[in-house]
Amino acid sequence: MKSLILKDLYNIGHNVKSMLLMLLFFALFFIPGSGAESYIFTSGILCSMMVITTFSFDENSKWIKYAMVMPVSKRDLVASKFIVLLIFSAIGAVAGLLIGIIGTVIVGKIDYGNWNGIVTLIASTLGSLVLAEVFGSVSIPLLFKFGAEKARILSLVAILVPIGICFVVYQLIRILGISVTDNMVLILLCCSPLLGAMWTYLMYRISYTIIKNKEVFY
Amino acid sequence: MESNLQVVDLTKQFPGFKLDHVSFSIPKGAIVGLIGENGAGKSTTIYGILDLVKKDEGVVTFRGEQLSSDNKLAKEDIGVVFDGINFYETLTPSKIGKISSAAYQQWDHQVYDSYLQKFDLPPTKEIKTFSRGMKMKLSIAVALSHNPKLLILDEATSGLDPVMREDILEVFLDFVQDEEHSILMSSHITADLEKVADYIIFIHKGKVLFSKTKDELRYQYGIIRCGASGFESIDKGDILAWRKSDYQWDVLVEDKERARRKYKSLVVDDATIDEILLLYVKGERVK
Repeated sequence: MKSLILKDLYNIGHNVKSMLLMLLFFALFFIPGSGAESYIFTSGILCSMMVITTFSFDENSKWIKYAMVMPVSKRDLVASKFIVLLIFSAIGAVAGLLIGIIGTVIVGKIDYGNWNGIVTLIASTLGSLVLAEVFGSVSIPLLFKFGAEKARILSLVAILVPIGICFVVYQLIRILGISVTDNMVLILLCCSPLLGAMWTYLMYRISYTIIKNKEVFY
Repeated sequence: MESNLQVVDLTKQFPGFKLDHVSFSIPKGAIVGLIGENGAGKSTTIYGILDLVKKDEGVVTFRGEQLSSDNKLAKEDIGVVFDGINFYETLTPSKIGKISSAAYQQWDHQVYDSYLQKFDLPPTKEIKTFSRGMKMKLSIAVALSHNPKLLILDEATSGLDPVMREDILEVFLDFVQDEEHSILMSSHITADLEKVADYIIFIHKGKVLFSKTKDELRYQYGIIRCGASGFESIDKGDILAWRKSDYQWDVLVEDKERARRKYKSLVVDDATIDEILLLYVKGERVK
């Protein structure tokens, strides 16, 4: 599996400069207006989308066919994409935090003497990681099923699925008359990595089933 | 004779094409050539062996062990080269070496470096700058650097110039010097197979038409060249396949010496693998 991850990291290495430029562009766009928090989320999601690019590279070089003759299993093949997604999401969230801090210092948007501001940034980084992972993991089964070209469009639609689920849950809470307290938000935030992990596992299982039942690998 | 690979009744139905109970074995120390026209089922056979297509029927055993895509241990011992390189174009041979060494426990850096040197492949240059021949050489270098017991090549020499093909064929011959190694290679270029193959398997419309030693084909098969009256005089039981061109009948026979003795007035030529293939595919088959 290490070889599969290494291959994706080497492949994407070529796109690092353009991704960095894009992050800087978004920093100029987001930080002065909305602050570092929204930028950290954007950065995480943006970097997680690089997993789609890795599938494009794979298709271009007919990699999956080749990977299947290497000593790797179908499980390895699927799991490696989720690990790569996690790496990209983490890089995105951390890059967002670092660029966010630098950006807010430059525009004087945050008081770093205030402990609350720092906690908010760290919580945003964690939230960004979870969100990027959740959104990114929706696209992986689609990519395995339909290929990079079709999945690129379908992924945008599929992102609406977790958003829709969150919306339905929120509406249910409102209908049941449960008031959302700060405490509940904190609990939800603390549970989010676990929920994210459960969601990712579900997407992994779906992806593996797709690969396992695939008729041909070329 | 001990075999490295055994294929029994490999069957796969596609819409409009069926790979139909393909069976053969690849003896240790042998190069086996897979020939057939485009769409005959050569690549599908290779994909079936490698579990890249879901088989409807059939068993593939590699050194006594059933082969499947999840059998990591067996895959360590099989090197595969498809008709192009399967690494993305921005990678370099050096990075490909690192990726492959992470995949194969048996990866040998020294062997890989020696092949890069032998094939004149610059380790730090991106493969998008390589010619097709260089890319194929790189694929072969990767396939040979984890000390495989079996090498499977799907049209690996097509599109290469004769000099490069010669270089690569020499490497293949070296590889099977050790009597434990074998090669299965599909190729359109039958001249390559005439040079290196020990056995020829002919696939036609998804079925194995014959599986014979190359020497049997080269030294026993013959083609009678004759006119209409000559063709009429030939005992139909002697004919494997025949084809009529403008003024000449080409008749494939299994035993050219016998034909020379029997039909003294007719010309009996040696048959190349290309001619045998052509007569079976384009001509009328009798047997």
